[in-house]
Amino acid sequence: MNNAVEFHGISRRFGGVTAVDDVSFSIAAGETVALLGPSGCGKTTILRVIAGFERPDAGTVSIGGRNVTALKPYERNVGLLFQHYALFPHMTVAENIAYGLRHRGADKREIPDRVEAMLALVRLQGFGARRPHQLSGGQQQRVALARALATRPSLILLDEPLSALDAKLRQELRAELKQVLAAVNSTAMVVTHDQEEAMSLGERVFLMQSGRIVQVGTPSDVYGRPDTRFAADFMGRTNWIEAQVTRRETGFARATSRSGLSLMVPDCSSDAIDICVRPENIVLSAADAADPDGMANSAKGRILNVALLGATRQILVEMPGGQQLLVMQANRVGDGLDPGKAVRIGFPVAACITMPASNRAAPNASI
Amino acid sequence: MNGTAKRRSDQVLGGAMIAMLALVLAFLVTPLLVTCLLAFDARSFLGPLPPPALSLRWFEKLVSLDYVATGLATSLKIAVLTTVIDVLVGTAAAVALDRGSFRGRGLLMAAFLSPLIVPAVVIGFALLLFLSRIGIVDGFTRLLCGHVVITLPYVVRTVLASLTGRDRRLTEAALVLGATESQAFWTITLPLIRSGMVTGAVFAFAVSLDDVAVSMFLTDPTTYTLPVALVSNMRASFDLTIAAAAVLLMAVSALLILVLERFVGFDRLLGQGLFRS
Repeated sequence: MNNAVEFHGISRRFGGVTAVDDVSFSIAAGETVALLGPSGCGKTTILRVIAGFERPDAGTVSIGGRNVTALKPYERNVGLLFQHYALFPHMTVAENIAYGLRHRGADKREIPDRVEAMLALVRLQGFGARRPHQLSGGQQQRVALARALATRPSLILLDEPLSALDAKLRQELRAELKQVLAAVNSTAMVVTHDQEEAMSLGERVFLMQSGRIVQVGTPSDVYGRPDTRFAADFMGRTNWIEAQVTRRETGFARATSRSGLSLMVPDCSSDAIDICVRPENIVLSAADAADPDGMANSAKGRILNVALLGATRQILVEMPGGQQLLVMQANRVGDGLDPGKAVRIGFPVAACITMPASNRAAPNASI
Repeated sequence: MNGTAKRRSDQVLGGAMIAMLALVLAFLVTPLLVTCLLAFDARSFLGPLPPPALSLRWFEKLVSLDYVATGLATSLKIAVLTTVIDVLVGTAAAVALDRGSFRGRGLLMAAFLSPLIVPAVVIGFALLLFLSRIGIVDGFTRLLCGHVVITLPYVVRTVLASLTGRDRRLTEAALVLGATESQAFWTITLPLIRSGMVTGAVFAFAVSLDDVAVSMFLTDPTTYTLPVALVSNMRASFDLTIAAAAVLLMAVSALLILVLERFVGFDRLLGQGLFRS
């Protein structure tokens, strides 16, 4: 498959600050990737370099096999969905959508049909004569999407596409956005600081930290096998257990945590390790129950605190020795998981992500 | 302090504020009302209010005066020309000032806005000296120059304000949709700063029509504006013709605003400039 976008050795400095530091990647035609990172990590600069608003200090950008590094925004065919939509307030919805067609030299007689087709694509037939301020936030976003897609761009950039919407609308529009992008079979890059948005929209996730891409992979890869402590923390809630490997066996290793828990973890090269366990991978059972099946790691603890989130609960369990573990549990009726109660926690070997303890020095993200 | 006392203190403060507003309003409006009343006074001297009888004699006298008609014609010509020049130059200047962080931007901004701070007498005198030095002695040209200088800041300010208030991403959206920089300016920026341009133009027109201080220095025996003519007349023979003139000017201003409201949609124009998506 040929690449729609190639980023080669891109750097961009602002004064003394390096916003983007020697970044290279490629996006396949028809692929949707998510550029994910905390604010200030340089993801917006990358978006602006692709759109043509910023010239990189070093490196080349190719779109559809053409080197566009020095081209103005209007000399490339990139669609951009702005975070706050940036709809033209003095134009109707139809005029907004037609704007790109007119300025990209579309045949004048075809423009009305194309506008109608785009309105149909985002399910806004009959809204052409309205003004943007007469629409709801979700409708405005769909108009912005239609406007960005109308010129059939070789790449569409989506800047925090869902962050301006409330939580409920966000879920609806996320599904709809995915459908629309699939329907036009367009190459897309979602730029976001929200890992949920990145994982649900992107086929691949590019995780950025301090101007560099630190990990690339499918959402489940980056979530389930983070390379660094930063990646693990940024992708979701984690429990960190600092431990020392005591014995290596075939396929796994035995380790003792600083607080005295003995653990079975996947085999790893270093002796001083940090173990990452996602809260949803820990199972709670009654304190006097036998070791649950398949849970190589099991121990008794006591519930400190329960936070109800609706369908799920976050339960904080304190282990003997002081290690605290966060457990994500479905909120089932009458299971009696209350603060103060003794419980047994369990998690399989596969739930442990190990990384060398030296990674502790890695700078933490400010989310 | 308990709840009742807190509430009481709020009420007292609110009452005081309303009283102050009423006072200021009265202070602003009373002179206008008195002027209107005096313009219709039938007496030939300034007597105590209210006038015992009403008449149109001052208006009749006003229209019968040659120099009032001449002054009005000059004033209107100067005001219209000034407004046109202001909108063109002022918008261009504001766009340039808004654009970038070039060297001397602050200085340039101060220069453009300085006529608002420098006393009119200083401006008038300085212009008179400067213009005669470079050979411009014609009264009309001098007045036009003076009026452009003192009214330009209004247009620069209002257009600059609407430029600052607009969403820059709209221009970026236009560029990424294939518009060149100049196309983006004509189709996006200009319509969005139109309210600032109209507001500035109205200010410029009104200030030009009203100016006395600067115009005094720049008139010549045959070219003078209406306010200058009225002031000279008042000095020569004080009567209530000036009140009649004031009433007519007020009517013209009110008409101007009404016409703008009706045909240009002043409200809508202002609203669009402020609208955020």
